[in-house]
Amino acid sequence: MGKQINVALIGNPNTGKTSVFNQLTGLNQQVGNYPGITVEKKEGICKLPRGLKAHIIDLPGTYSLNASSLDENVVIDLLLNKNDKDFPDVAVVVSDAENLKRNLLLFTQIKDLKIPTILVINMADRMKRKGISLDIELLEKKLKTKIVLVSARKGTGIEELKEQILNYQKISSEPCLNASDMDPEYFNLLRKTFPNQALYKLWLVITHDANFGNIDRGTLTKDANFNTKSVGDLKRLQQKETILRYQFINDLLKEALTINLKNATDLRIKLDRLLTHKIWGYVIFSIIMLTIFQAIYDWSTIPMDFIDVTFASFSEWAKNALPTGPFTNLIAEGVIPGLGGIVIFIPQIAFLFLFISILEESGYMSRVVFLMDRIMRRYGLSGKSVVPLISGTACAIPAIMATRNIESWKERLITILVVPFTTCSARLPVYLIIISLVIPNKTYLGLNLQGLTLMLLYLIGFGTALSGAWILNKILKLKCKSYFVIEMPGYKIPIFKNVALNVIEKTKAFVFGAGKIILAISIVLWVLGSYGPGENFNNAEEIVTLRNQSENISEKHLKEEIASFKLENSYIGIMGKGIEPAVVPLGYDWKIGIAIVSSFAAREVFVGTLATIYSVGSDEEETIKKRMGAETNPVLGGPLFTFASGISLLLFYAFAMQCMSTLAIVKKETNTWKWPLLQLVIMSSFAYLVALIAFQVLK
Amino acid sequence: MITLQEILVLITFLFAVGFMITKFIWKPAFLKPKKKSDKACGAKDCGCH
Repeated sequence: MGKQINVALIGNPNTGKTSVFNQLTGLNQQVGNYPGITVEKKEGICKLPRGLKAHIIDLPGTYSLNASSLDENVVIDLLLNKNDKDFPDVAVVVSDAENLKRNLLLFTQIKDLKIPTILVINMADRMKRKGISLDIELLEKKLKTKIVLVSARKGTGIEELKEQILNYQKISSEPCLNASDMDPEYFNLLRKTFPNQALYKLWLVITHDANFGNIDRGTLTKDANFNTKSVGDLKRLQQKETILRYQFINDLLKEALTINLKNATDLRIKLDRLLTHKIWGYVIFSIIMLTIFQAIYDWSTIPMDFIDVTFASFSEWAKNALPTGPFTNLIAEGVIPGLGGIVIFIPQIAFLFLFISILEESGYMSRVVFLMDRIMRRYGLSGKSVVPLISGTACAIPAIMATRNIESWKERLITILVVPFTTCSARLPVYLIIISLVIPNKTYLGLNLQGLTLMLLYLIGFGTALSGAWILNKILKLKCKSYFVIEMPGYKIPIFKNVALNVIEKTKAFVFGAGKIILAISIVLWVLGSYGPGENFNNAEEIVTLRNQSENISEKHLKEEIASFKLENSYIGIMGKGIEPAVVPLGYDWKIGIAIVSSFAAREVFVGTLATIYSVGSDEEETIKKRMGAETNPVLGGPLFTFASGISLLLFYAFAMQCMSTLAIVKKETNTWKWPLLQLVIMSSFAYLVALIAFQVLK
Repeated sequence: MITLQEILVLITFLFAVGFMITKFIWKPAFLKPKKKSDKACGAKDCGCH
């Protein structure tokens, strides 16, 4: 096997970089984090001609190498550190045919680092329609590189790109610009002081003060009269650098780029006017959201029922097929029902991400961000807060990380604090099971009531986030300047491959991320529910039989009585009874109390916990929904899951801060435990209060 | 007498508890940024970007 070529995929946001990455790597990709920080790292393997392979890293989108955020620092850290195992043999800069001028700024900077660099001009299929024509030969000559015209949407140009990657050694590593033009005297001094370092690389190291330790200070000549410049002077030089680069790019594009405006259609302008209209914009957004929530319910009923029945049968099969004993019971009553409680929600979660991906891919999401900026401002947030708030519907963790591009610290802090109110996918299993138990599956004015309730819960989450932001904006006495700039990408028909990969990746992350926790909690809960201290637990059979001696009850009923008595006297039963006084006023029993406590680790654990608790000692093959529906309230009698207790539970989960990972990430992003602890106390107390009021009013 | 199945239950239980401790107590408590550069936001760090 030959050497693997390291390729760094770099580009401005919205250039279709990830689409090119998907085309190159297909399913051979994995998503992780950069060590020590929470910036997402996407890497994959691409098969090249002649049996060679390339290791491709999809770096975070950046407009230039003058970093201003953590994401952008990742790009620079990698490009400046030759010792990094991912240091690229070749850089592939992805640009967009419509925004070539802006994209070339980044390209020239990377080229000046003397790394062989290929320029990919993406969305080439739209050039004709937009009236764009390029003199590729001239561009290649002046930029001293190889250019590949690609349409990631249609998959064209990918093979040529692979060929260029394979032949990267033939690409010139000569820089585009002479860095010393910025300040000849200063750069000559730099060259003398660090004779073995590339000049532009030195410049980047100095301006970012990043990786300064990577430079061997022993290389400093003893008599070097080297003085560092002030931050202000460095900023001025950076500005000069940008001006010089744009002069070069403007001169180049004057010759190499022609745009025939007559050919450009004005459909985008018309669509923008409609979708960002101050009334119609919101109406269209509401209709789209309503359709999504209706579809989530309608389309996923059949696969959900199938999964539920399959897991119940699987559990029954395990019990019969494996040798009798506690370990078999652990598998049949603990592990399988617990996992079933998460797998059952795959269809809904996949549909939710399918719709979100389509909205993002089509370019509509940027219009939503723009539209929402008008509302956000009133609540002390920025238009950029919409991205975290919408991402929060998937998971609060990446959403909190996405706040890094909000320039104002106050707006960023407020966004971090309110994001956990938005309905994340972990709440979805709780909502779906409770809604199906307490809201009738009927239609009203053509709308499914269960779907409407789900949408209402999403609106409650979003509304609470906004109200919370408004309050925090009044309380927090931080004065920061804020501005809002967003790029509106062109409208595109979503690429199926991108949407599919996104859905698979997000669903996989949800199932495997939550699955491990649920599996562990299911095991712990089963053990705590199957063993107990004292006489009552050990002699449960005798005690219950003795109690029911005078009554003529069936064997099945007696078995159920024994199982119930054992559970009540198990470790978990004792713990549950301990917290019962706190949850009874909310309409719950001790089993729900235990599920709430265990779901402090992660919300989605709730359903798995109940599935495990209800399965302990049960011989019946039943679905989770049936088991929950059959539970009776020990205090009030009648079904446990009534309209009142169901609504109370839904509202509790809508407001409670039940996610340890979110607390950890808030601590990390704010550098203090103050904010996550405040979040935990305030959100949980508020959730308890609202749930209490709801149950007491509705019961 | 302790059976093989009971030993398996005990091992599985200990693994599960160990996993939970690592996931929720150990890591979050010792979760520290790689380096605290002057770009990191915190407290009243306005315009930190």
